[in-house]
Amino acid sequence: MLGLGADRLRADMNRLLAFLFHQGVLDEQFLQLQQLQDESSPNFVSEVVNIYFHESEKLLRNLRGLVLEREFSDYKKMGIHLNQLIGSSSSIGAKRLTNICVAFRAASDQNNPTACLRALELLEHEYCYLKNKLHEFFQIEQQRVMAAGVRYPIQN
Amino acid sequence: MACKADLVVSDQFPTGLRVLVVDDDITCLRILEQMLRRCMYRVTTCSQATVAMNLLRERKGCFDVVLSDVHMPDMDGFKLLELVGLEMDLPVIMMSADGRTSAVMRGIRHGACDYLIKPIREEELKNIWQHVVRKKWNENKEQEHSGSLDDNDQHKRGSDDVEYDFSATEGAEELLITQKRRRDAKEENEELENDDSGTAKKPRVVWSVELHQQFVSAVNQLGIDKAVPKRILELMNVPGLTRENVASHLQKFRLYLRRLSGVAQQQGGFPNSYCGPVEQNAKAGTLGRFDIQALAASGQIPPQTLAALQAELLGQPTGSRALTGMDQPLLQASLLGTKSIPVDHGVTYGQPLMRCPSNISKQFPQTVLTVEDVHSGLGVWPSNDLGVVGASSNLGGLGAQSGNILMGMLPQHQHPCQQQQQQLKQSIVPEPSRSINVQPSCLVVASQSSASFQSGKSPASVNQNSFSKGCVIDYRHLSPQSNNSSVVAGLLSDGDVRRTSVLNGCGGPGSISPSVSSCSINADSSAGRHFSGVSPNISGVQGSYCSTSGQLLDQVPLRNLGFVGKGISIPSRFAVDEPGSPTSNLNCGKIYGERNGNKVKQEPRMDFVENVKVDIPILQNFSANDLTSVFSE
Repeated sequence: MLGLGADRLRADMNRLLAFLFHQGVLDEQFLQLQQLQDESSPNFVSEVVNIYFHESEKLLRNLRGLVLEREFSDYKKMGIHLNQLIGSSSSIGAKRLTNICVAFRAASDQNNPTACLRALELLEHEYCYLKNKLHEFFQIEQQRVMAAGVRYPIQN
Repeated sequence: MACKADLVVSDQFPTGLRVLVVDDDITCLRILEQMLRRCMYRVTTCSQATVAMNLLRERKGCFDVVLSDVHMPDMDGFKLLELVGLEMDLPVIMMSADGRTSAVMRGIRHGACDYLIKPIREEELKNIWQHVVRKKWNENKEQEHSGSLDDNDQHKRGSDDVEYDFSATEGAEELLITQKRRRDAKEENEELENDDSGTAKKPRVVWSVELHQQFVSAVNQLGIDKAVPKRILELMNVPGLTRENVASHLQKFRLYLRRLSGVAQQQGGFPNSYCGPVEQNAKAGTLGRFDIQALAASGQIPPQTLAALQAELLGQPTGSRALTGMDQPLLQASLLGTKSIPVDHGVTYGQPLMRCPSNISKQFPQTVLTVEDVHSGLGVWPSNDLGVVGASSNLGGLGAQSGNILMGMLPQHQHPCQQQQQQLKQSIVPEPSRSINVQPSCLVVASQSSASFQSGKSPASVNQNSFSKGCVIDYRHLSPQSNNSSVVAGLLSDGDVRRTSVLNGCGGPGSISPSVSSCSINADSSAGRHFSGVSPNISGVQGSYCSTSGQLLDQVPLRNLGFVGKGISIPSRFAVDEPGSPTSNLNCGKIYGERNGNKVKQEPRMDFVENVKVDIPILQNFSANDLTSVFSE
């Protein structure tokens, strides 16, 4: 019974992932992250994703500050933040979010405040969505581990 | 971390490679660390460049290779690259989320061993050991040539090096062959990077400010063209200095000069990618925001930019530079390749030289190799009295072929020396067919390919022939306009959409075909003045990046989001499907629509809230505050 629960949860995880892939929210880089997880770093994926969320929120706040500035002119700084966001988002496989960032960067290069604002909104939106989904994913994972653990003796 | 290299070689070479990773992005840092561990390397991570430098200095000989991000808040990645090259002479691999050709080109010019584009895959990291081996082999080979050293010197670099040599025989053979080829190409610089037989321990001579000053005066006296190590050595008359030391330093110096010109050239074009303190060229500034090198190549580098550039390179405050009024005569002199370049003047770099970026790996092996093999280790160039020779230095350094190109491509200057420029250029222009080889060595991504962010990402490794797809930029359709903004705007009307479609060809001056050369993109009004044939185009071409799919990416979301310039003329050839499309949210709408559609098929567990605003009951860590704060106006 418990074993079945674990399997079902695993199936749910896979389904969620497949869905996210299908939508283009995640890409294969996320799979790479999963492959990097092993016994020496059993929580690698969630660790990295949490770091990512933490850092990204800082960047998003900064971006928001820059975009909403009255004298909206520091495109260079915006570009710097965006570069970092692009780097980290693409590194965890958040493809859709990365795309938005790239577009944002382009708007910033153009010194286009309207476009920047719109990009920011989209970005924040997407970020929330991604965060939700990934949290969901990790939750299921947690439940699965627990379900599996109850049935089988925990090693190490 | 132990400084001793306890390498377990045997079958598992290159296990135990000691890597230092520097990146301010903690996410990437963690991922890289994990990947490198999986490659069985020994990883040290650092999120600050200054800390990394200290680490490297304190523990010299404890690292084999450095991976560094380009954009870091406390120090520019390229600066770190220089310092590492100069002080520790380690291979440095640059990383960046910016995969644009221009950015990659900068990396190459700065002497990075490799340039990885994020997201970095494990396979790419597995290969970094080759840079270490290559470097060592190069150095060893040089030693053999100079005949001054034996195997002992190899040991001086750390015991594991020997193991690399022995255990890497298979792979190294290939490397050797490659190196042999390269070496033939750059004979003049052959005996480099070797050890000073005089100093027993540390192979490198420390180039102090005074020493370098003597070096520079010797070079200036001889003229950069005629500056050969032997003569320089004689002029310098420093006991204990060997010809080899001078030769290697000379190569670095040339690299430095070349990079200066390249960097200066790009000042106007990189608002966000170059984080150095250099102010943007006022002239380039009008076009400035746009990542088009052409704009930067429009001409003059004002003294303050040069000064700032120099200061930045030397790590000195810009205020200390005094360049006013100096650059003109120096530029003039440099253009003519005269010897009489006064030493006491500051940096003179009015000549943003055109490179042939896309051709580098194929046509101009010299160029690439000098860049690659010799780090532009520039950390401590002397201050005010650096007499830097301008364009001609590069001509001297490279083969005549590329030299011609460079000269031919020199953009116009607002200088009294224009005339001479013109003469020079005109004399060279007739040979474009020889020097400018329009060949397939362009970085191209078919513009029709999908915008998958990952798929087409071309690893900007100089070792790979990523410059392999052939295409010629056809700038015919971009009308030469004296109005900067419209041209630029036209180029960027759809944001990067323009860029990607325009740049569907080779991204560099080297890839100019005579046909292309007829049109001038150079947004700068001074464009029309000079080159009958080649150059205006060059500026334009220069400004283009070959689009990687990362750029194509720009195209897609832009279209979706409708960030299109208003009322900008778009040459029909490059017109985007929906310029200025009002359906800005179309794709976003689609996405959401998809979601909704899928929602039906999915289990109830997939609980999509359309506007992911607040209530996500199943998520624990997600406080409502987070969401609302993000969304709050």
